[in-house]
Amino acid sequence: MKLSTYNFLTSMAIKGVKVGYPLKLTISKKDVVESEFNPVFIERLLPKLDWSAVYGAAQVAELAEDIPATQPENISDDEQLLQRLHHLLFEIDVLEGQMECPETGRIFPITDGIPNMLLNEDEV
Amino acid sequence: METPYTDHLSAADYEHVYEPAEDSFLLLDALEADLEFLEKQLQPRLCVEIGSGSGVIITALAKRLSHAAHCLATDINPRACEATRRTASRNGAKLDSVRCNLTNGLRRRCVDLLLFNPPYVVTSDEELLHQQGISSATERNLVYSWAGGRRGRRVTDILLEQLDDILSPGGVLYLLLLHENKPDEIVQQLARLKFKAVKCMERHIPGEHLYILKVARIVN
Repeated sequence: MKLSTYNFLTSMAIKGVKVGYPLKLTISKKDVVESEFNPVFIERLLPKLDWSAVYGAAQVAELAEDIPATQPENISDDEQLLQRLHHLLFEIDVLEGQMECPETGRIFPITDGIPNMLLNEDEV
Repeated sequence: METPYTDHLSAADYEHVYEPAEDSFLLLDALEADLEFLEKQLQPRLCVEIGSGSGVIITALAKRLSHAAHCLATDINPRACEATRRTASRNGAKLDSVRCNLTNGLRRRCVDLLLFNPPYVVTSDEELLHQQGISSATERNLVYSWAGGRRGRRVTDILLEQLDDILSPGGVLYLLLLHENKPDEIVQQLARLKFKAVKCMERHIPGEHLYILKVARIVN
């Protein structure tokens, strides 16, 4: 699971959960996969992403020194930051770990790179 | 679009995961025919396929859009999630598999391009419940991939009710339907939900008449 995917995941579907975001991420095994850098795409994707979850992922992936805590303006002029975002979001592949619902503590395991967000019938 | 390699999947995989068939290829052909719209107009940032099964459709799309879109595949069946990941890897496509029901694990109104080849075969809901009662989990996985309940719309109707929460403001859905699913009725149902749906491709195959419905919000 790439950290770009992590940015889109929520536990909002659990009954009674209001926001369910961002999920508390733990990484126990990760891989780094090379991927072609497309600065235009990263820039286009940013408005869809939640920066606090981007920064949160950077902290968990031990890349926090690469990413500012708040989203800078005019990011398109900062090729180095776009490159770092590309690395964080598309080159870190979480193989084993978990995500935790911030409101209920429900754990969503990540196994062999696949997050399991499936809820039981009595949870929805 | 290139048809992805599937030689890494075996008969043992197809005991648990839907094997690509005419319906899968019709959805691929519809996307191929609409590539100019997808690449020049829609320019999706997030693409999601629900019920990716073997993963051929989202893999073909991810290869084509490669570094200009983020692609996700969902399935409730863990064997399908795994097969999709393997198909992506075999074909050098960048995508992630997520195990969840429809898009229930995803943030609201994010999806620019949504693909769904639903379980569309008309079965009695009773038959479906009976299957759930007696089958092992693995048999159930495969039944879920095709058994659509009454009118073959058990799952499709749930998705359509959630569509407004799933698609981004300019988002588009490509939905595969069977004649027996009553596509014209679905077009009307979508109009009530403030979506415009058009049949963008159809094909007769032995025993089935398949349609691809292209669905987008009605812009005022």
